[in-house]
Amino acid sequence: MKEIVNNLEALIEFLKKMIIDTLKLEDITVEGIGDDTPLFREGLGLDSLDALELVVAIEKNFNVIIEDENVGKKAFESVRALAIFIQEEYGE
Amino acid sequence: MEFKNKRVIITGATKGLGKAMALAFAREGAWVVINYSSDDKSALETESEIKNIAPKSLLLKADVSSRTDVEKMISNVLEQWEYVDILVNNAGIIRDKLLMFLNEEDWDRVIDVNLKGTYLCSRSIIKTMIGRKSGRIINITSPSALKGRICQTNYSASKGAIISFTKSLSREMARIGITVNAVCPGVISTAMTENLDEKTKKEFLNMIPMGRFGNPEDIAEAVLFLASEKARYITGHVLVVDGGLG
Repeated sequence: MKEIVNNLEALIEFLKKMIIDTLKLEDITVEGIGDDTPLFREGLGLDSLDALELVVAIEKNFNVIIEDENVGKKAFESVRALAIFIQEEYGE
Repeated sequence: MEFKNKRVIITGATKGLGKAMALAFAREGAWVVINYSSDDKSALETESEIKNIAPKSLLLKADVSSRTDVEKMISNVLEQWEYVDILVNNAGIIRDKLLMFLNEEDWDRVIDVNLKGTYLCSRSIIKTMIGRKSGRIINITSPSALKGRICQTNYSASKGAIISFTKSLSREMARIGITVNAVCPGVISTAMTENLDEKTKKEFLNMIPMGRFGNPEDIAEAVLFLASEKARYITGHVLVVDGGLG
């Protein structure tokens, strides 16, 4: 996992797959998610309950804990923002 | 064996209703965590009974009103058993007094064990349930929550809040596949009711259409039902098990 985390492109790809698998987004493909597309509302259309599932998936895959909503809001701005957040927090 | 290898945590499981639930789950093949807070003697006795029938069991001492205790207990369970399928928030205390004589300590302690304990245990276990997209949380409430009872402003407030907690959490978790329900036992024969005086006992019996106190097993069966696959479409519900007391 460390190799993926250190490579931003690979990490973004991994996260897109993780989002699709975790939330069972059957009609969305990896290619269909832009790196900078907002994850919530007008973007990918996720909501706060989806965020709960993603928080758990991130902790499971990266051992990175998103403790509160404010941190979550920043981290979930887009897949790229999430990837950068994970790179910053990973292994600390 | 309806609960074969299902992993269950029951708080306050060494006496009364909690013990009956622990035994009932164990008989159905579940792995049972027996939580308790203070009475080591009862805890060891219950543990030896459960050990005889449950495939696996853990006896864990933890005060449910303490975040440190609860987090330690849950991580201990997850380390050994990986995940938990069912949480029964049963631990509860009473400190009955008329409001005028109800001091702050007795108010706080009842709210802390009954209500905060339900919050802390649910919060500590919810991540593992969300990760598996399945789980059952069953909270034990009381007729005192629905109708009120003298000397129980603290207890009824805590149990009423547990009903509200159950309804709100059920809405949060429904889409993820986790059900959250409550069981409201009527007057049940336990150590708590044995301490009632004869006059109060008679008054209660006259109010119960079925003419008898409930048995802990009556409640355990209701809890097992809500924890079972049969109850997969039931969430946010308060199941009243009271012999018609109403």
